[in-house]
Amino acid sequence: MPNISNQTLIHQFLEESARALPGKCAMVHGKERISYEGLNREANLVARWLMDKGVTPGDRVALMMENCREYLAGYYGVLKTGGVAVPLNPDLKPDGLVPLLARITPKCIISSAKCEKALREIDLPVLSIPLLLIARPRLKWNDVPLTACSFGEITGSGDGSDPDLQINETDLASIIFTSGSTGQPKGVMLSHRNIVANTNSIVRYLELTSSDIQMVVLPFFYVMGKSLLNTHVAVGGTVVINNTFAYPASVVQQMIDEQVTGFSGVPSTYAYLLHRSPLRSVRDRLTSLRYCSQAGGHLASHTKVDLIKALPEHTKLYVMYGATEASARLTYVEPHRLHDKIDSIGIPIPDVNMKVVGGDGEELPQGETGELVAQGPNIMQGYWHDPDSTAKALSIHGYHTGDLGYMDRDGYFFVVGRRDNQLKIGGHRVNPQEIEDALIDTDLVMECAVLGIEDTLAGHRLVAAAVPIEVETTERDILQRCSQTLPRHKLPSEIRFFKALPKNSSGKIDRAACKELMKEN
Amino acid sequence: MSETREQVRAYIVDNFLFGDDSGLEDSTSFLESGMIDSTGILEVISFLEEQFSIKVHDEELIPENLDSIGNIVGFLGAKMAVA
Repeated sequence: MPNISNQTLIHQFLEESARALPGKCAMVHGKERISYEGLNREANLVARWLMDKGVTPGDRVALMMENCREYLAGYYGVLKTGGVAVPLNPDLKPDGLVPLLARITPKCIISSAKCEKALREIDLPVLSIPLLLIARPRLKWNDVPLTACSFGEITGSGDGSDPDLQINETDLASIIFTSGSTGQPKGVMLSHRNIVANTNSIVRYLELTSSDIQMVVLPFFYVMGKSLLNTHVAVGGTVVINNTFAYPASVVQQMIDEQVTGFSGVPSTYAYLLHRSPLRSVRDRLTSLRYCSQAGGHLASHTKVDLIKALPEHTKLYVMYGATEASARLTYVEPHRLHDKIDSIGIPIPDVNMKVVGGDGEELPQGETGELVAQGPNIMQGYWHDPDSTAKALSIHGYHTGDLGYMDRDGYFFVVGRRDNQLKIGGHRVNPQEIEDALIDTDLVMECAVLGIEDTLAGHRLVAAAVPIEVETTERDILQRCSQTLPRHKLPSEIRFFKALPKNSSGKIDRAACKELMKEN
Repeated sequence: MSETREQVRAYIVDNFLFGDDSGLEDSTSFLESGMIDSTGILEVISFLEEQFSIKVHDEELIPENLDSIGNIVGFLGAKMAVA
């Protein structure tokens, strides 16, 4: 296993794994496999091409592509130049893409055939973007005044040795845009040190080794997906890329075939896995699955219990909590405590300190609810070109998560809601998460979003967008069961059914889009 | 089967391509092309179940059955032959 504790730069994880385990499989994608030696060589060739074309330390390079081998080579290649990797959602349309490109002014875009259409619709030279590197292009780019090149042209031959530039651990490594529900996305600035520290912490608590084989269905442009890559490359493990989670049966089958040891998802991933996949019927064949991990939002305790029952007995479930601003991870629930801390987000991961603070910034005693604030070497440097937002999020106390919660006497933290997501219904303050949990508890709902629609009389009217497990289920069935646990003022005035709820790019339920749906008709 | 194909194609073009079917071939992968995301795939499944009175089982949720017009037509043919 590579020695991960000595690394101070993200790409050194790859270089060390390539030295320690050159022939080991780093990535599987469909029929494609690449060893650590091969991946490091391709990343070096990308780095040398970028440097040759004028990319220098501090330059931003946008990575706009689906999870694939070239993503890995591009990501590590950019880092090896001292450049700043800026992952972007490959599904962005020109309207969303142009403002982001104008803000980050990248020297190069690394992309794939999937994004060529959107990129052709943009005037890249007007945005002063001189370089384009494309995986498996389908279009011709000779008529566009920039330097365009395919991966095939640069990774075939050349000097594939490590460039070994002088890069400091405090240098900016990545800008990751948050999928914020309101306002424009914020660019979270993470240094090499931020990401290396978080990678090391995650490796420790998940006890990852070079034997680990991770199924990756989350996109690498999302911080949780990226942490799967960083941690497994750090230990010399293997990532299995599968971009077809829309077809869960094929993912489960590949987990069996590749003897996957780890699977990770956001709440909707597990809703699909439980209700739209053959997980239960094939669980005895998931003999290697050591653990599943969940982050990216609140998972109803009922779903956690169902999941534990559906998974093989030897599979641990790690419930975790984090934020892009924390390079990914802040807390986790130790699997052996999951049953008695089923609603908790857990304890801080190694090297992270978390506390609950009140309105005046003072630390609150155990049991009292305030804002969760975290400190550690993984906390971001700030938001790109946004000092106002940075000043709101970072203080002498650390990173203000915007989540309200408390700590129990065992040091376990609990989130009770978002600071900005409390609804006022009549004279009551209502937390949508509590009602969503009650809806899931009915055993009739696969996923849901409880929302407040503005109401002149009550302030907000409670409504729910829901996906029923069975098509025969009625609104009345659900309300009847909810009324056994919820007081009347917390019962939604309307539950509308959908075949699926809109999701944002990282798979989380898009509450703003749900609200628009509920306002229709 | 050509009628089935036309029904599936019309549904995809109307609901996901806003009427613009340029570049849509029978073999075009919904996911790889970015035409339909995972939420949309569930909508396609609901359409197939309602329109063709079939039940798509969990173990049948694989790209080989559902990720292109051609794959769907083949899948429907096999399902309806069994029914």
